[in-house]
Amino acid sequence: MNNRNHEGARHGGPPVVSCENVSFSYLDSGRPALAEISLEVRAGEYVGVVGPNGGGKSTLLRLMNGLLRADSGDVRVAGFDPAAEPFEVRKRVGMLFQNPENGLVAPFVEDDIAFGLENVGVSREEMRERVRKAVRAVGLDGYEQREPHTLSGGEKQRVALAGLLALDPEVLLLDEPTSMLDAAGRRGVLERLEALRGARTVVHVTHDLDERLDADRVLVLGAGRLVADVSPERLVSDPDLLRDNRLVLPTALRLAAELGLGPAQLRTPEDLAEAIVEKSGARAR
Amino acid sequence: MRIELENVRHVYASGTPFEVEALRGVSLPVEPEEVLGIVGGTGSGKSTLVQHLNLLLVPTSGRVLVDGADARTIRGGELRGRVGLVFQFPEAALFAPTVEEDVAFAPRRLGLSEGEVHRRVGETLGLLGASHLAGRSPFALSGGEKRRVAIAGVLAMAPEVLVLDEPTAGLDPATREDLLGVVRALREEGTSVVMVSHDLDEVAEVADRVCVLENGEVRAVGAPEEVFYSHPTTAPSTVRVVRPLRGPHPEVGRPVRFEETLAALKGLLEGRV
Repeated sequence: MNNRNHEGARHGGPPVVSCENVSFSYLDSGRPALAEISLEVRAGEYVGVVGPNGGGKSTLLRLMNGLLRADSGDVRVAGFDPAAEPFEVRKRVGMLFQNPENGLVAPFVEDDIAFGLENVGVSREEMRERVRKAVRAVGLDGYEQREPHTLSGGEKQRVALAGLLALDPEVLLLDEPTSMLDAAGRRGVLERLEALRGARTVVHVTHDLDERLDADRVLVLGAGRLVADVSPERLVSDPDLLRDNRLVLPTALRLAAELGLGPAQLRTPEDLAEAIVEKSGARAR
Repeated sequence: MRIELENVRHVYASGTPFEVEALRGVSLPVEPEEVLGIVGGTGSGKSTLVQHLNLLLVPTSGRVLVDGADARTIRGGELRGRVGLVFQFPEAALFAPTVEEDVAFAPRRLGLSEGEVHRRVGETLGLLGASHLAGRSPFALSGGEKRRVAIAGVLAMAPEVLVLDEPTAGLDPATREDLLGVVRALREEGTSVVMVSHDLDEVAEVADRVCVLENGEVRAVGAPEEVFYSHPTTAPSTVRVVRPLRGPHPEVGRPVRFEETLAALKGLLEGRV
């Protein structure tokens, strides 16, 4: 395996999540969903996980919170084996699923957000306060008394995220938390997650590389293998790594790459517009 | 086939304290052989709107016209065969033991011969690049594979209008592009496609017309370059790059799709325009 593509953790903290030689196969599938995965996530790290559909991203998260049990190898989360002691792990680890429909349980939005908290024994007042803050954080003010089934896909996704923020676990496992949100909604959620940086450990599965440009590092999973563990800047400027793993840069970065304007330095379409103005201005002079 | 929404209002939980007016008088045609993109923020009414196209939801007031006639005069089963609706996360409805049987379910219910059902299933799975999955269990597939199979299940009815509600949510970018290719191919074959998406970049790539919904009302509708360049909050990445350049360099034009935008920007940087 190419060491250049395996930079590993870049800062401190004890490991909170670790996988050692972990393999897993679904029952009727011909090939392993994950094969010999070894990785470590340290306390306070923000780690992105990318890769094609079927690459093993969601499976990895499910192993981390004990929904699945590894066929071989060791998974440790906050010192526990998630498959053996799922309740210990889930006290510390919150998970957000890809399809928000799967997580909503209560008759009203605010009950749904409070649901996780009701199981961890916090006082009524604190519960109310945490729910209020979470509602505001995801921009759902005024939705407290709505019934979840009357909400749109994006609104449901926000409710699910608010439930997780209210619970405030040590480790957040996020499976495509913004897949149903428009650009403004995504920005809001990402800013909220950014505010957790350093204080909480986040593992964030996404298809949108622009989302994870802010991660401390990015794991690339392809066909069940850990193909790379690199800085986001490395990833977006390595066309081979991108192409081999069916990763596509977001539109603005793709334009930047095609125009030879170093995608790693740019984030938004507006950044690119500025770079073009500068360059075309320089040419005119 | 032309569908027209005529001043459609839709109120959920009418007469209760939870009443929500999701559509506030929407008038919008779906023209034959076009790709119509429907965009708008979370909760703007996109999903509610498209569920009126085959009367899965009935307007609280207003009408849905199919080729000029009130859609309520068409038998429900016939209408839903002609206007195929693919929900958000459609893979949640997969149920059969094999992919092949799952895709065959709807065309079989149209009363087609087994030979014809078999032909359509094969053709549809082929179009979606999913032929190799035919004998697999739909439950053991990856998210992207499941999505294709679920879409195939609706396409196998050979609808005249295909409605896709957030078809690419949760798909990887390469699979997303494959699916946009399918949308283009369908349009070439004469199927209209109505695509709801929160992702303006993908709508920009395939839409012939764009409709912007806001708070249950049509805020704008028209050609992509008209809509995207005149509504600053509704602009795909390409337009967000080009718009600030139009002041100093009006010659850059109003490109929307990736390739035309790239060509325009190259021209600008090389001083060819």
